[in-house]
Amino acid sequence: MTLAERIAAFRDIAEEWLRGLYHGMISHPAYEKIENEAEDVEDAFMLACFPDAFGIPSPVSYYTAELLPYLEDEFEAWERRMWDRGSLLERKGQQYHF
Amino acid sequence: MRKFVFFGGKGGVGKTTVSSAYAYKCANAGLRTLVVSTDPAHSTSDVFDQQFDDTPKPVDGVSGLDAMELDPEEEVSRHLQGIKRSLSTQVSPAMVNEIDRQVEMAHQTPGAYEAALFDRFVDVMRESDEYDRVVFDTSPTGGTLRLLSLPEFLEGWAERLLAKRKQSVRLFERAAIGGREPRRMREGDPVIAQLEERRDRFALAGELLREEAAFFLVVNPDELSIRETERAIGSLDDATLDVRGLVVNKLTPEPDDDENGRGARFLRDRVRTERERLKTLREEFDKPVVAEIVTRVAEVKGDLLTEVAAEMDVEVHREPVK
Repeated sequence: MTLAERIAAFRDIAEEWLRGLYHGMISHPAYEKIENEAEDVEDAFMLACFPDAFGIPSPVSYYTAELLPYLEDEFEAWERRMWDRGSLLERKGQQYHF
Repeated sequence: MRKFVFFGGKGGVGKTTVSSAYAYKCANAGLRTLVVSTDPAHSTSDVFDQQFDDTPKPVDGVSGLDAMELDPEEEVSRHLQGIKRSLSTQVSPAMVNEIDRQVEMAHQTPGAYEAALFDRFVDVMRESDEYDRVVFDTSPTGGTLRLLSLPEFLEGWAERLLAKRKQSVRLFERAAIGGREPRRMREGDPVIAQLEERRDRFALAGELLREEAAFFLVVNPDELSIRETERAIGSLDDATLDVRGLVVNKLTPEPDDDENGRGARFLRDRVRTERERLKTLREEFDKPVVAEIVTRVAEVKGDLLTEVAAEMDVEVHREPVK
């Protein structure tokens, strides 16, 4: 183990740690936040399209039904999120990992 | 007169008679005419003594006149089947049932029937190139007329959904930091494409109805019908649709002066009341009374149709589109 190798090994470790820290402290929370926001907007979109899934009759759901074949993933995720969403505070607070 | 002419009014006032008579008049004046009935009772078949269906068919004995009867029920099930077909190709079997429920529900909402009818209206208007005049006998549900004043509302609604969808897709794309695959892509998103198509369709419908359609309301000389007409005119005016006039139908014939029996006295009283009503119509409404049609002894068919057509002072020839 020459000095150069030891320095290189240390740098590898340091780099991994720094990458991990950067990911955990900066980039992950960033895209988690944006993705959450995107999900919220999507939920609003889905609710506007299919209020009758929650018992609110809508005169335009005849037209929105045409979108359903293309909204498989959205539909599933949306129903899951809507049913287990306790409150807005809880939803918006998810980004803070206490 | 504009290319598309709609006759509306309360149930039983005689819209079918009036619109058939007008279509007959147009055909006789040498215009290629299509009369479209949207009344579930489909009395057009009775007027011409001939069965019609969802595709235009020539009316026997009248050259240049075709008739068709729209069936919203059938349109609803066609729409439903279409969506189900694309579901089975697009969606995994695990989710099909879940989504199927939603699709079924959407086709049983109170508005489904009207929405289907609206779609058919727009189709008929779009595919009417071979005709000079299309006459619509609208169904008595107040829904139909209201529906025709809705394209702007629907267009705005589609526009808002589109904006929401674009926003969420944009956010998903932004969330894909550092070479991750975004969960949704703007490029080739079928939902956006579908919504845009819908929006354009509504926009076109609104344009056709505002620019190329004229509306007439059929009234009977009774209090109820007059009030109803007042409301209908209000909603059509609000939607900036062109209401051209009122057709008064089912007026009581006046007995001769030398008749004084019980029947004659009754008729005379009735005529007096109706005159009052007509006066109300003329004074309170800013729309002209374009025809006064007296009740016939029998159903209006054949020769009677010619007579009624002659009594209608509604112009026939095409006016240029502005």
